[in-house]
Amino acid sequence: MAYPSWRAWLVAALALAAVAGCAHEPPVQPWQREHLAKRAMRFDADPMEDHFRQHWLGAREGADLGFGQPGGGCGCN
Amino acid sequence: MEARGADQVTVRGAYYREPSTRVIQPVVDIQKDLPHGVDLDAHYLVDAITSASAAAGTTKDSIFTEVRNEVALAVGKNWDRTRATLGYRYSAESDYWSHGLGGSLAGRFWGDTATVALSLGVSLDTMSSRDRPSPDCAVAPHTYCTLDSYFAGLSYTQVLSPVAVAQVDGEIAYLDGFQGNLYRQVPGLGYEKPPDQRLRNAVAGRFAYYFPSSSTGVQLHYRFYWDLFPGTAPTPTDPWLMRAHTIEARVYQKLSRSLEVRLLYRQHLQNRAQFWCDVTLNSSCYQPVAMSSPPTYSADPKLGPIHTEYPEVKLVWDADGLRAVPFLRWFSAATFEISYGYYMQNDSFRNAHVLQAGATMPY
Repeated sequence: MAYPSWRAWLVAALALAAVAGCAHEPPVQPWQREHLAKRAMRFDADPMEDHFRQHWLGAREGADLGFGQPGGGCGCN
Repeated sequence: MEARGADQVTVRGAYYREPSTRVIQPVVDIQKDLPHGVDLDAHYLVDAITSASAAAGTTKDSIFTEVRNEVALAVGKNWDRTRATLGYRYSAESDYWSHGLGGSLAGRFWGDTATVALSLGVSLDTMSSRDRPSPDCAVAPHTYCTLDSYFAGLSYTQVLSPVAVAQVDGEIAYLDGFQGNLYRQVPGLGYEKPPDQRLRNAVAGRFAYYFPSSSTGVQLHYRFYWDLFPGTAPTPTDPWLMRAHTIEARVYQKLSRSLEVRLLYRQHLQNRAQFWCDVTLNSSCYQPVAMSSPPTYSADPKLGPIHTEYPEVKLVWDADGLRAVPFLRWFSAATFEISYGYYMQNDSFRNAHVLQAGATMPY
């Protein structure tokens, strides 16, 4: 199960290129952005909620990135 | 690129409870816009953690309460299509201190439909033990251990249509130092000794779609994680090689003009770190490894094979209906939210209840 790390990065780069390739011209004009401002369309709508979730999941799952996860005596690290 | 609104203050509370651990976390966050496109964001939070032996990872059958204080300040600067942030965070417990410094640079392209963001960060942690005056990981003459983390992330967000947005990102973190718990012990071997270096990687994709006819929004997230020992591992095989898949789906539904419900489901699957074995099933499973040089062993449940599920429901209320109510109209610009989730774990931590509530109000 030893994936070379470059392979996953390559997949990410190809995905990025595929998304970018769809946008030769801006697909949305300023007057068409009504729905894009809604909570449902934002990936960063609630940073404080994300902060709490990252801390608790980082203490219970071994697959976070280990950054911004301070904790010692509580068993958080 | 995080959107910025008017000056606002957010007050939140979170409650996490599983059989052996209870966490109460109040937070206050203040955002302030300044002239010349500059903004400030500061928060203060307290983690009050009451834990028994199982969750604490110690072998002592005792209950204790630990309090963690965290303060953070971030400064942002906006130009025409570019935003930069620089932030500092300090976290302190009685036996763990952490300094974090991070920055980001984001730019919008293609008629503001594409955003590329680069994030960099470093975290310098110091830890000591109340039970061990001089733990093994301490370098004499010091009596504390350290953990240095370096983080980089790159994300690309693309608006695909008036109702569709996609995002891909990659993250990498290098950790150097003690990555375990100074109180946790492995039966028969003593205090745990995990490998002291780790390279953690993740790629993720997110997609959001909105159905205007029913005022319904849908988000799908996927994340793949893998880690390894950077360079040549001191053990015959790489001690890490952990892999994890995480999927998450969210449905946002408007129930009225000012009330919205969000349903969330998350599932996480990971294999074990290669050096880890389950001492609760076989107390001598570490013996061959422990004899190698350098020995690596841990009783940390989160390094084992884990399967977690998390359903959650959240209500968000924009309180503009209070505008006509005397006195309460002061709160008519506020947003209130409350959520409940149930975190299901297949390891010794067992299932948990997660309750959160918050209010955001401009000033």
